[in-house]
Amino acid sequence: MATTAADATATVPKEQTTTNGAASGAEQVTRHSEVGHKSLLQSDALYQYILETTVYPREHECMKQLREDTANHPWNLMTTSADEGQFLNLLIKLIGAKKTMEIGVYTGYSLLATALAIPEDGTILAMDINRENYETIGKPCIEKAGVAHKIDFREGPALPVLDALLDDEANHGSFDFVFVDADKDNYLNYHQRLMKLVRVGGLIGYDNTLWNGSVVLPDDAPMRKYIRYYRDFVLVLNKELAADDRVEICQLPVGDGITLCRRAK
Amino acid sequence: MAATGAGEGKKAAAGSSLHSKTLLKSEQLYQYILDSTVFPREPDCLRELRIATTTHPMAGMAASPDQVQLFGLLINMLGAKNAIEVGVFTGYSLLATALALPDDGKVVAIDVSRESYDKIGSPVVEKAGMAHKIDFRVGFALPVLDQLVAEDGTSGKFDFAFVDADKANFHHYHERLLRLVRVGGLIAYDNTLWGGSVAAPDDETLSERDRELAQIAREFNAALSGDRRVQVCQLAISDGIMLCCRVA
Repeated sequence: MATTAADATATVPKEQTTTNGAASGAEQVTRHSEVGHKSLLQSDALYQYILETTVYPREHECMKQLREDTANHPWNLMTTSADEGQFLNLLIKLIGAKKTMEIGVYTGYSLLATALAIPEDGTILAMDINRENYETIGKPCIEKAGVAHKIDFREGPALPVLDALLDDEANHGSFDFVFVDADKDNYLNYHQRLMKLVRVGGLIGYDNTLWNGSVVLPDDAPMRKYIRYYRDFVLVLNKELAADDRVEICQLPVGDGITLCRRAK
Repeated sequence: MAATGAGEGKKAAAGSSLHSKTLLKSEQLYQYILDSTVFPREPDCLRELRIATTTHPMAGMAASPDQVQLFGLLINMLGAKNAIEVGVFTGYSLLATALALPDDGKVVAIDVSRESYDKIGSPVVEKAGMAHKIDFRVGFALPVLDQLVAEDGTSGKFDFAFVDADKANFHHYHERLLRLVRVGGLIAYDNTLWGGSVAAPDDETLSERDRELAQIAREFNAALSGDRRVQVCQLAISDGIMLCCRVA
């Protein structure tokens, strides 16, 4: 879950908090200092510098609108960060991706970045268990950008969709690019299927693989509940991906950590 | 990095953040990336050259292991065949590039001196069977690039270029590279975040040299950001890598 330049006192999704309502003043202060680092970089100033000099001046106006609208949402911690959106856009252009997939949409910032990068007849199969954030926040911006026609949105868990795709051999090796920004405890299940759906030479990007930097914290370090819960899955994921000789790999500290896997065989 | 005589290795001012090996929030996090994803995949010859380079007094000038892993991936993604490297030093990133290129691929490698390469890199490159891919041109980069531009058939010939040399000339190299690299090709510039000092507050203690180079980096970054001939992306790996995909 990439942190953004959004208000750090934003609450986390209800099911992942131990409280059931608005935090008290003292708790809000604690949360603020906990997410004091809005990025994985040595200072917030450095991250801001990158955003202000290289990212924001080049950000499509519809992406800016979507980013700002998302910042007002209580779950905005889940969004893809602006620097990551720019990076994904570049990757897609570099490989000339046309047929793409996104697992985990939220409001749709990375979805819009992808839609803007693929050609006019490019496609994105987008999956999320919740359609509402995309419909109310993302879709208006995506329509305004003139790229909504590229998106095929499926509401519901991703695994059944992937399994259905695999049932038809024509889908094997048909995708150029996939971005996975979803439930970390299922990443390896997605990976198993994506390795058949992505073409040789195609690219998969797994988001949040540095998990707020918690991958290097000792087990007894103070951590938010949801960070601690998913941390083990992320650690195992990183190990498994690094050992998978079917992919060429690279892990970058963009956003909350993105691991690129290029299918080599 | 090309040797410039005075050398642009990062001699950090006491107390500045330039002492850190990484732009990340902790060295442990950087080490984690290296240990989990980089080193297990590092080819033996590249490891050998990386370790041999540490014996050099200016070892800080070398590219970082995570950076060269990224370049290998980018080269494969691009289907690159022809590359340029401005600034060679011992040849660590040069070897990584050569390994990623196909057997009939070529990298034009430019450095004002080939001493470090001949002494440390070349034997490893030979042993790795990559020497035939390397076209080494000794000289100051600007005249060599101008010569390359003037050669027949070089316009838009190159798929990938990596510049790790004298920062004050980066914008000059950029103009030449935009003619040599194809539309859709990639140029990568190193040290564009200069230890993070590009974002340092005015009262931070920096050496004169770091202050000057941070300013050069800021100006270069601003120029690239405004350059519509390229699509840009700044990565906080190594000392800051600015990726530029030529779009026009």
